[in-house]
Parts: sequence; structure tokens; C-alpha cells
Amino acid sequence: MEIVSDSSSPSKTKDIDGLLANVGYKVRSSELHQVAQNLERLESAIVNSSSDISQFASDTVHYDPSDIGNWVDNLLSEFDHTASLPYDFSQLPDLSAPPPQHHHHQSSSTVNNVEEDSAIKLVHMLMTCADSVQRGNLSLAGSLIEGMQGLLANMNTNSGIGKVAGYFIDALNRRIFGQNNVSHQVSLYENDVLYHHYYEACPYLKFAHFTANQAILEAFNGHDCVHVIDFNLMHGLQWPALIQALALRPGGPPFLRLTGIGPPSPDDRDNLREIGLRLAELARSVNVRFAFRGVAAWRLEDVKPWMLQVSSKEAVAVNSIFQLHRLLGSESDSNYHSGIEMVLGWIRSLNPKIVTVVEQEANHNENGFMERFTEALHYYSTVFDSLEACPVEPDKAMAEMYLQREICNVVCCEGPARVERHEPLVKWKERLGKAGFRPLHLGSNAFKQASMLLTLFSAEGYCVEENQGSLTLGWHSRPLIAASAWQAVPLLDAETLRFDC
Amino acid sequence: MAGSNEVNLNESKSVVPLNTWVLISNFKLAYNLLRRADGTFNRELAEFLDRKVPANTIPVDGVFSFDHVDRNSGLFNRVYQPAPENVTTWGIIELEKPLSTTEIVPVIIFFHGGSFSHSSANSAIYDTFCRRLVSMCKAVVVSVNYRRSPEHRYPCAYEDGWNALNWVKSRTWLQSGKDSKVYAYMAGDSSGGNIAHHVAVRAAEEDVEVLGNILLHPLFGGEKRTESEKKLDGKYFVRLQDRDWYWRAFLPEGEDRDHPACNPFGPKGKSLVGLKFPKSLVCVAGLDLLQDWQLEYVEGLENSDQDVKLLYLKEATIGFYFLPNNDHFYCLMNEINTFVHPNC
Repeated sequence: MEIVSDSSSPSKTKDIDGLLANVGYKVRSSELHQVAQNLERLESAIVNSSSDISQFASDTVHYDPSDIGNWVDNLLSEFDHTASLPYDFSQLPDLSAPPPQHHHHQSSSTVNNVEEDSAIKLVHMLMTCADSVQRGNLSLAGSLIEGMQGLLANMNTNSGIGKVAGYFIDALNRRIFGQNNVSHQVSLYENDVLYHHYYEACPYLKFAHFTANQAILEAFNGHDCVHVIDFNLMHGLQWPALIQALALRPGGPPFLRLTGIGPPSPDDRDNLREIGLRLAELARSVNVRFAFRGVAAWRLEDVKPWMLQVSSKEAVAVNSIFQLHRLLGSESDSNYHSGIEMVLGWIRSLNPKIVTVVEQEANHNENGFMERFTEALHYYSTVFDSLEACPVEPDKAMAEMYLQREICNVVCCEGPARVERHEPLVKWKERLGKAGFRPLHLGSNAFKQASMLLTLFSAEGYCVEENQGSLTLGWHSRPLIAASAWQAVPLLDAETLRFDC
Repeated sequence: MAGSNEVNLNESKSVVPLNTWVLISNFKLAYNLLRRADGTFNRELAEFLDRKVPANTIPVDGVFSFDHVDRNSGLFNRVYQPAPENVTTWGIIELEKPLSTTEIVPVIIFFHGGSFSHSSANSAIYDTFCRRLVSMCKAVVVSVNYRRSPEHRYPCAYEDGWNALNWVKSRTWLQSGKDSKVYAYMAGDSSGGNIAHHVAVRAAEEDVEVLGNILLHPLFGGEKRTESEKKLDGKYFVRLQDRDWYWRAFLPEGEDRDHPACNPFGPKGKSLVGLKFPKSLVCVAGLDLLQDWQLEYVEGLENSDQDVKLLYLKEATIGFYFLPNNDHFYCLMNEINTFVHPNC
């Protein structure tokens, strides 16, 4: 017998008021009266009370404002209680960044017309070139590449479209000259170095870590044995902050196990273990009982749940920062399910208290090359724009190289070699919903954390937005990464798992 | 005090559809939570609560959008255009050719409302409204993300509006018609309407052509209390004391509501006689407590020999145009359509 867990049944979505949905709110038509009544009750309560409403609003934790009914209900029930204050991650010594540099972004106030015209021509040529590649007209594509390289020679390639175009021209070049399935191999060491500079140059990774940690901390409330499974340990940069936060939690820290997944180390080294030792050292210094286990695997699909040694007594958090999208193009060992379905299946079988997911907010997984190319050009232009404001070298240059690898993968590669298969949050929500997960909403306290984090970065275009329980970080009005949290819908007794673990 | 605090919500419920009532009441509640008695504003919570939507170069219901960020100011304009007929060009932004070489395509520069403090150009309510403007009025819309108070008081919003106007007028890709020029109009609701007026005055003084102004229940006021303010205070979503807060947050410190930004035809105002001011379409909602100020504004324009049409919607409340579920909405769209296509 197979029970498909589906958190959003079709009949429920049909009842949502369409006009309100168009302006960002979810209210069922059948519930409008009730919601209206609650709005009235809350209004009366506020009007008749003497408390400082703005203070109350500031102290309360708000969730998913698009769900008006729940938001109002929450306010009503909080109204007579004191709200608990959010945990302030920025107080932790590990997170203190160098003092903000007051770097005023210098840009020419008059972009001369010639420069602007060249930029427009360049974008046109890029599109035409991508189009020719898609049609298989490689000789035209080749000559366009030459033309663009000529244009670039007379343009400013240190910033703006000139810079990012260079990377895309390069990627097209590789694709045309038959480097399709070379997945732009970089040594693990180089990857590590680039990652570290990317971490410093812009807030994307830090936002991912902060936000996930906030959610994990809350999920671990009241649990004495907790187990975090990190899908990509790297340098373990996310974990000192969580360890510190657990150390300071009221009632004392739990016993923390961390399982870090990462590629096998070259030679005789064991990088995972080294990171684990460092984290253990930190945990010891703050009196948190800690155990670390490294799981070496080239791909997530190769990890088997038994390797993680999850015990039923522990609260499990699965943490995936920019990893899930890599599973989208692959086939699993079994003939029936793709890599992503298999992995989501075994995550669910672990019955995690929380699954934190951070992904690029972009649609880079379309089959059509032209669509993918256009999307990527817009997306990475925006990311590079945000990087321009970073004053620190070589962080900035290395961060660009880090991103260049992504661009190359999106543009040049196909099949299993193409791992940068970014999909937007709306698609992830659907996938995770179908796989038996329901959303855990990130609230205004996580939003506050993220906003505080951004004040540490000198560039002023970064913005955090709330999106129906998830948070996005973007540059100006364009969301670039999305953070969400999930919980497995409880398995019923009689249910047979759809997937083999 | 008891009288003005008395909340009689039944009246507002009987004049708008239920989903509109929920929408506007929800805003009212949120706004109450954000304003502090000391004049400061909880901007962080405001941004958390605001529903925002990204631009979309792929047309949805015949309209696509993209953002242009001004590197110096860090402000963006969101441009909305009708979908090109050629589907293969969807997703690609045309920045070289004009909108048309034969027909005239009006470009409406839109200033969103929010009493100078709330909302953004990418707020869902305004993104949706601008899209409807494009499809129903066959226009291009440029929505301006101006700086808000209390962080940025007068004249910041007007300066941002002025910069946006000049930016629009100088885009070759916004030109249309046989004489290749930008057919610029300005529009705004609430504080946006106020901004449109003041930018239009400057445009007239500095000889920048604006073909028309569309003001939807624009935000004006003054020191005296008008009949409509006294009569409608607290009745239809809006309280006078809240209006006062927003003026204190916007106007220079120490100034009162007779400052010309707030009261352009008041004791400190100036006449527009002789100025080449654009024709105006002023829409007044009959249940808006500010209507007497708006009617004084219309009168002020008339006394300055300016061309103004008053659209008085007797049973409309503020925000009637957010949802297309009432006659007022369609009436307004019709009027705007005619206003920006004068020769059709």
C-alpha cells in the first residue's frame, strides 16, 4: 500500500482567494469572514489597551505574513504574553568580522554614451551567439565570439557588463570548441581556496549559515541528543557559531554529534577528520560534549543512510547548502528514481527534526540552451554587480573565479557533467512537498539576524526578503539565494516507504 | 478622546467587498505596528511584512518587467511593457529600438503610495497595479523606488522623482511616434500623487515636457481641520492622527502642515498661473477623509488656469484600485486610458 503524503491538496488551493493571491496574500475564500473577525478583534484589543503596540510588535516573532489568518491569530495570542527574545548570533566572538569599511562605491557618474552603446551591442551579440550555438550554427557563433572579443578590447572590463560578459564569452567558446563535457576540473585544493575567498567577499554563504543555524537551534530546543548532518562540510565554517550557541543555551548544551560529508582526500590525508578535530577542540573549550564523524563520498548519491549512524534517540538536522541541485541531473542506482528522489527519500527515512535547504534562486536547469543562457546571464550579472562593491582583494578576484566555475558549468556542460542545476524556490517547494516534507517557517527573528549580518558588509544593495516562510538574500530587487527549512511529515504506521534506502 | 478612538468597523465593511476589506484592514493593522510614538519607524519589520515580487522578463498575462538600478543612488526603477508579439524575443530586453516608429505609446511614470513611509516599487500590490495599467491602458509604466521617510524627509522623494523623470525622458528605447519622443505622463496614488504634483511643477519651471498628471486620492493636507476630516475620521480605514504622524515624518522638522509640500495652494503655497503645467486627472474617493484637501487642490489648479478633470467616486474608499472587484476600478482605468490616449 502506498500513501502519498501531499501537503497541499488540490481542493484546498482552489479555494484560495485569487485576487488576494495576486497581491501576495493567501487566504481561503471560505475563511475570509473568520479572518475579518479576527482582524476586528485584534483592532479592538489594541485600541483598548494601554501597552505600547510598536514595542509589542518588535518583540513578537512574526511568521509568513502572506498567511493573514495565521499572522493575525499569532498576534492575538501573543498580545497578552511577553514574547521571548530571539537568540542574537551576532554577539558571538566567532562571528565578529573586521570593522565595516566605509567604502563608497566609485562609479563614473556619467557613463559615456559610447560605453553604454557598446554594452548594449555586447549583450545583443551574446544572445545571438547563444542562439547560434543552440541552432548548431557553430561557424556563426565562432565569428560572433571574435566580434565580441574585439568589442571587449575597447571596453572597461573591470566592472559591469564588460566583466561578466568576458566570462560568458569564454564559456561559449569552450562549448563551441568541444569542451562540452569537461566539467572544468579544478583540484580540490583550488576549490577550497576559492571557496574561502568567496565566503569572505560577499554575504551569500554567511547568510546561508546564519539562517540555517537559527532554524536548527530552534528545532533542537528541548533535545539533549542532537545530530547535525552536513551535506558539504568544506571547512566547517558554519559550525563554530552553532556550537557556541548551543553552549550558551538556557538549561545547558546538548550532546552534539556532527556528521560531515565531503569528497575523499588525496594522498594519505583525511581532511574531514582534520576539520572534525578542530571543531572538537572548539566544542571542548566551551564545554559542549561533541562527536564528529566524516563520511567521504564523491557524490551525495553514493552516501547510504546507514553510513550516517543515526540513532532514534537523537534529534536530527540535515543541512544542505547549495548541494541538492547537484542531484537533479543524475540517475540513481535503481532504475526507478532520479538521484534527488532517492536522496530525499532516505533523508525522510531518518525522520529529521529539521532539514535546512539553501539554494540559488535561479532557473538554470531548463533544457533549452537559450533559456538557460539568458537566465544565467541575468543572474550572474547581478551577482557580479554585488561583488563589485567588495573592497577586499584577493577575496574579490577569487570569488569571481569561484563563480566563473559555476558559469562554465551552466553554459558548457550537459548530462551528468552539468551539476549546477539551480532551480528556484517555488520548484524546490513542490519537490520537497511531494517527497513528504512540510515547511517550517523562518520568522522575523531570522530576518533580523540576516539584516544584522548585512550591516557587516559595506555594500548597500543587499536585501533580505521574506517569502512565505522562507528568506531570500538578493542584490537590490533581485533575490539571489533562498533559505528554507523543512520537516518530514510523520510517517503513518501502515505506510510503506516509496523508496529503498 | 473616546470618540475618536471608537472603532466602528461595520461601516467600512458594508461598502467594500470582503476581500478588499481584509486587504486594507491588514495593511492598517501592520502600519499601526510600525509607527512609533517618538516619530521613528520600524523599518526592519516593515520590510519583513511587505510582500515583494521580483521583476520578470518573461511576459505574464501580456506584460513583462525589468529593473534598472541607478549605480549612484542605489535606487531602481521597474519598467513594465506589453509583451512583444514575437515570442522568440521574450526574455530579451530591447534597449536600442524605440517602442514604435508609427504609433504613440504613452510612458507613465508611477509613484507608489504609502504615505511617504511604506511600500516599494516591488511591493506586490503595486507590481500588480502597474501590470494592470499596462494591459488596460496600453502604456509603458516606469515605477519609481523613491526614498522614504522618516529616514529620508522632504525633498528626497521629489528629487528622486525628478531624476526618474529625466531618466525616462532621455531613454531612446522609450520613444515612440513619428517624431521620436518620449510621451511622458506621471501618476501616483496617495503620497505618489503628491510627488507627481511637485515633480510636475519643477518640470514646468524647467521646461521639461510632461503630457499629463494622474493623481489617485493624492496626499495633501493642512493645519486646519476640514469637514471631511472631522466627519470621516476613523470611519473608513484611516485616522487623522495617523495622517499627522506621516506628515511629521516627511516634512522638515519643525514645519507644520501648511508647508507647501503638504498644502501647495495653502497660505505658504504659490500660484501656478502662467506655468506650462500638464493637464491633470484627479481621482477623489468619496469616503476618503482627505477629500476636502483634494478638492481644494483641484480648485487651486482651476484658479491657476490649469486644465484639470475631477473624477469623484462617491462610494469609493482609499485603495479601491488594488483589487479589480468593483466598478470604481474599471471606471478609473477607463478614464486613465482616455487620458493617455487623447487622440483615440
